[in-house]
Amino acid sequence: MAIKVLRRRKPILGAVPFVAYVGIFLGIPAGSVVLNAFRSQSGSFTLSNIHSALSGGYRQSFIQSLKLSVIATVIAAIAGLLVAVAVVGMKDGALKRAIMAASGVFANTGGVPLAFSFVATLGNFGLITKILLSGGVNIYSGGFTLYSVTGLVIVYQYFMIPLMVLVMIPPLEGLNSQWFEAAQTLGASWPTMWRSIVAPVIMPPFIAASLLLFTDAFAAYATAAALTSGTIPLVPIQIGSLIQGNVVANQGNLGAALGLGMIVIVGVVAIAYVFVSRRSNRWLR
Amino acid sequence: MATITTSLQGSLQGSSEKSVKAVHGRVLGVGRRYRTVVLVLTALFFLVPVVASLRYSVVGNNNSISFSSYGAIFSDPQFFSSLFTSFKIAIGTVAITVFLVTPTVVWARLRRPDLMSALESVALLPLIVPSVVVTLGILSAFASLPNIIMGSPVILALEYVVLALPYTFRSIDAGAGAIDIRTLVEASRSLGGGWIATLMRVIIPNLKSGILSAVFLSTAFVFGEFAVASLMSFSTFPVWLVQVGQDRASESVALSVVALLLTWGGLVAVSIAGLRSTRRRSAVIEDELFAFGEQL
Repeated sequence: MAIKVLRRRKPILGAVPFVAYVGIFLGIPAGSVVLNAFRSQSGSFTLSNIHSALSGGYRQSFIQSLKLSVIATVIAAIAGLLVAVAVVGMKDGALKRAIMAASGVFANTGGVPLAFSFVATLGNFGLITKILLSGGVNIYSGGFTLYSVTGLVIVYQYFMIPLMVLVMIPPLEGLNSQWFEAAQTLGASWPTMWRSIVAPVIMPPFIAASLLLFTDAFAAYATAAALTSGTIPLVPIQIGSLIQGNVVANQGNLGAALGLGMIVIVGVVAIAYVFVSRRSNRWLR
Repeated sequence: MATITTSLQGSLQGSSEKSVKAVHGRVLGVGRRYRTVVLVLTALFFLVPVVASLRYSVVGNNNSISFSSYGAIFSDPQFFSSLFTSFKIAIGTVAITVFLVTPTVVWARLRRPDLMSALESVALLPLIVPSVVVTLGILSAFASLPNIIMGSPVILALEYVVLALPYTFRSIDAGAGAIDIRTLVEASRSLGGGWIATLMRVIIPNLKSGILSAVFLSTAFVFGEFAVASLMSFSTFPVWLVQVGQDRASESVALSVVALLLTWGGLVAVSIAGLRSTRRRSAVIEDELFAFGEQL
């Protein structure tokens, strides 16, 4: 009897302020975007917002955003893994600690200052642009511009690669040397060991981290907005222009439909992330 | 064969670190040359933009060296007013964050440890809604709120608390995990301390490192957040920075250099402070730093 009473009275009061705060300042705005996506300007139910968000220029912006995030993620994932492998093989020492600390710091660099520091590097008058020019190579006449999807892919590497390094070092260090010894005793070759020991252990965290990088690149607004002043039609930029009213009026709740699209894409990737990262913990106990 | 002997020797010596590393290196196919090439290229990629920015801020588009762009920043009244706006927002955000998250974490760890992972998931929810979308929602859902909230940076302070939660919640929670809350609370209660006194005089001082890193992370978030502030037309520091960039490139680069160096310095300080107080839990700090990449 007593136990029953206790069970019924599990305290929840302490969590109420926190959950309510998030509910009000995140739940209500997100909920209103979702509802508005299905609402016409007069307030009645409609699918026309969704329809226009998925057609014409807006469909194109989803494709551009996905393209940017996928390319940036693939490059960062591979580069990050290569760096992590190099770091794991090192002796513990000042250099290794410095690399880890630097990864933590660079992974947190983003937004407007990052955009401007790349303007100084690869912009029209940037350092690298000038150095290459004095060597006879004009990258801007060769079709490159920093203020494009290619440019953004390069800039995003600045925080994406370190993120990948930070995530991949623990699983790589978790590779148990006894597994390799056992495999060697059994006569396994180097590719076999990669395939049957390294890959199964590092694949889940690798995929999980890549998903994380993807959402990062997909949702990013500041760097793109500062670098391109809204000229590249990425989804967040399009939503931004709709908010600022830089487009023809009477678009009603089109922005909300685009926003819903972003939530759906990020949400699906986040769910995939949760599943994959659960698997990845298995080998790292 | 050589591998086996060295690793056998290693395991005989209690599997010394060195042999583990050697085996790792060999199996992963990494030699010294690979490592040098990869690390040098990586270092170049990360250092060149810093050097280029420093150079650009003193040279600009023409080739004469001058520090005028740094001087121009400080003589611009907008510099101080935008900085002050961001500063006020940061105070609000930090205060709400500390007094919202700390009691929640302490309460959950004491009374409902089983709720911890659910609360952590709630704290990660802002990562699923891109900040541009949040802005859209704020503008439509809160349009009817009084002007003192929607018409002033107050709304930014309120929203930044939520948007920075993925980083702040973790660091306060990591701090709480490093101390024995139960014993501290019992000691304080048995000495007659009330709940408020326990929180203010026992728990918060002991959670200092976790709270301090949350304070820094949310401050850095506020000073770096661009999307919400610019779309709601508030002149915070990053918003002003972009305005400067539109016609005075070398000044904006000079400012970016200052902003980057300050943030980096702060991050390093936080991670050192964190390492010192929770040395056993250094993985937590890395975790927490790694989660901070999404402030864009």
